[in-house]
Amino acid sequence: MLISLLRVVKFSIQDIYRNIWLSLVTIMILILSLFTINMLLVVKVVGDTAVEAIKEKIDINLFLKTTAEENEILALKAKISNLSEVKDVTYISKTEALENFKNKHTDNPEVLEALKILGANPLSPTLVIKPRNLENFDSLINSLNAFEDQIIESRNFANYKVMLGKINSITEKVYDAGLVLSAIFIAITLLVIYNSARVTMYTHRREITIMRLVGASKKFIQMPYLLSSIIYTFIGVLIIMIVFYLFLRLLQPYLEAFFVGYNVNLINYFFDNSLKIFGTQFLVAAVINVLASYLAVRKYSKV
Amino acid sequence: MIKFYNVSKIYPVDVRALNKVSLHIKPGEFVSIVGQSGTGKTTMVKALIGEERIDEGKVVVGGWDITDIKENEIPILRRQIGVIFQDFKLLPKKTLFENVAFAMQVCNGSPSKIRKIVPQVMKIVGLESKINRYPFEVSGGEQQRATIARALVHRPKILLADEPTGNLDSLNAHEIIELLLRINRFGTTVVLVTHNREIVNGLKKRVITLDNGTIISDQAVGKYIL
Ligand SMILES: Nc1ncnc2c1ncn2[C@@H]1O[C@H](COP(=O)(O)OP(=O)(O)OP(=O)(O)O)[C@@H](O)[C@H]1O
Ligand SMILES: [Mg+2]
Repeated sequence: MLISLLRVVKFSIQDIYRNIWLSLVTIMILILSLFTINMLLVVKVVGDTAVEAIKEKIDINLFLKTTAEENEILALKAKISNLSEVKDVTYISKTEALENFKNKHTDNPEVLEALKILGANPLSPTLVIKPRNLENFDSLINSLNAFEDQIIESRNFANYKVMLGKINSITEKVYDAGLVLSAIFIAITLLVIYNSARVTMYTHRREITIMRLVGASKKFIQMPYLLSSIIYTFIGVLIIMIVFYLFLRLLQPYLEAFFVGYNVNLINYFFDNSLKIFGTQFLVAAVINVLASYLAVRKYSKV
Repeated sequence: MIKFYNVSKIYPVDVRALNKVSLHIKPGEFVSIVGQSGTGKTTMVKALIGEERIDEGKVVVGGWDITDIKENEIPILRRQIGVIFQDFKLLPKKTLFENVAFAMQVCNGSPSKIRKIVPQVMKIVGLESKINRYPFEVSGGEQQRATIARALVHRPKILLADEPTGNLDSLNAHEIIELLLRINRFGTTVVLVTHNREIVNGLKKRVITLDNGTIISDQAVGKYIL
C-alpha cells in the first residue's frame, strides 16, 4: 500500500516535470485566478475600511451662542446624550475652540493676526455629537431640529449620508466587477486544468495503455494525475502568497497616503488571516481542480 | 482454459466482427488463430482481456465467466493473461529492465519481488545480457522478446500474442515463435494470432481459421488454409 502511494507520488512528479511547459502554464493560470480572487478581498477590506473611516468622521456640530451659560450648555448636553440615536456628545468650550482654531492655523500668521485685532474670542462653544449608527442618522437630525433651546446658534448638518452611499456603491461596483472577473478566471482555470490533464493523458497514452494491459488498477492509473493537480494548486497558492505579499508592499504606501491617520494595513490583515485566506483558497481550489482533472482522466483511463 | 459460447461482437454501426463463435481451448494448448484481415482475430483477443464487451454469448476464462465482468475486476483478469501485440509498446525512455519492472510497479509489486522476478523473465526470453539497454539500442526481435518478458511477470496462465511477428524478419520471427513454444512447454496456454503461413505450417499445432467473424476450420494439427 505504502509502496503504491510512493509510486503514485513518483509518477505524479514525473508527470509534472515531463510536461514542464504545460505545468507552468497551468500554474500561471491558477495564479492569475487566485490573484483576482485575492484582489476581491483587497477591494472588500479597503472598502470596509473607507466606510469605517468615514463613519468615524461623521459627527454633528451644534454651535451654541457665545453668551450661553456653562450650566445651560451642560443641561442641553445631558438632554442630547439621552437621545437613543446618540453615541456620545463632547462639549468644546469657547476657550478650547479657540485653542483648536489657533493650532489649526499656526502656519497662517494672517489669520492669527486678525484674531488678535478682534481682541475678544469670537468662537462659539460647540457640542459635537456622534451618531450611534448611520441607519438612524435622519431621525437623529430630526430630533436635533426639534430641540427648541434659545442657546442654539446654528445647526450645521453636513450630509455625510450621501457620501457614504457613494462609497458604498463604488465599493460594491468594484466588488461586483471583481466577482465577474474572478468567475471568468475560475472558468478559464477549470478549462486549463481539465485540458492539461487531457494533454497529459494524451502524452502518456502509451504508458497508460501498458498499465491497463498489464493489469494496473484504474485508481492507480488516475491517482498520479489527480495528485498532480493538487501539487499544481499547492505551488500556485504558495506563489500567490509571495506575489501578493510583494503586491501589497507596493500598494501599502498609496493606501496610507489615501487613508491618512487611519490604520489600513493590508499586509497585516493578510498576514493575520493567512491561514484562513490561503488555506481556504488551497482547499477550495484543490477540490475543484481535482474534479476537473478527474473528469479529463476518467475518459482516458477507462479499462 | 478459454471457452467461447456463441460469441458475437457487433461494432457500431452494424459491423459483425464476431458471429456466433464457439471454441474451447484446453489448459496447456498452443493454438494459432489465422484469417484474413478484418475477420475478428483481434476482437477475440480484446474480448478475452475485457477490453471489448461482447454483445451475445458467453466468454469463460479459467472457469471465470467474464462476459459481464465488473470494471474493477478487469485488472485481476489481466494479471492472469499476458498479452503481446505487433507494435511492441515499450516505453522508449526506459531500459528493458525498467520496462519490464514497470509492469510490476504499476501492479503494486514490491521492490524485492521486482528484483527477483524481472531477471528471471529476462533470462527466459534470453535478454539477461541486455537488460540495461534502451529499446532503440536493441533489435526488433529483442524488443518483442522484452514485451514477452513483460507479459510474463505476473506468471500468467494464458499468453495471447496478436501478430507478435508482424514487424519482424523471418529469422527474428522464428526466434519469437521458438520462445512462445518454450513458454508453452512450461505449461502456459498460448494463443497465437498470425498471418504467417510458414510459421503456422511449421508449428504442427492446432489451427483455428476465422473468416468474416465465423470459425470456418478448426484442426488439431492444422495448416494455413487461406
Ligand atoms: N473499434 C472498432 N469500431 C468499429 N469497428 C471495428 C473496431 N475494431 C474493429 N472493427 C472492425 O471489426 C472487424 C474485425 O476487426 P479485427 O481488428 O478483429 O480484425 P483482425 O482479424 O484482427 O484484422 P487484422 O488481421 O487486420 O488485424 C473489422 O471489420 C474492423 O473494421
Ligand atoms: Mg488484428
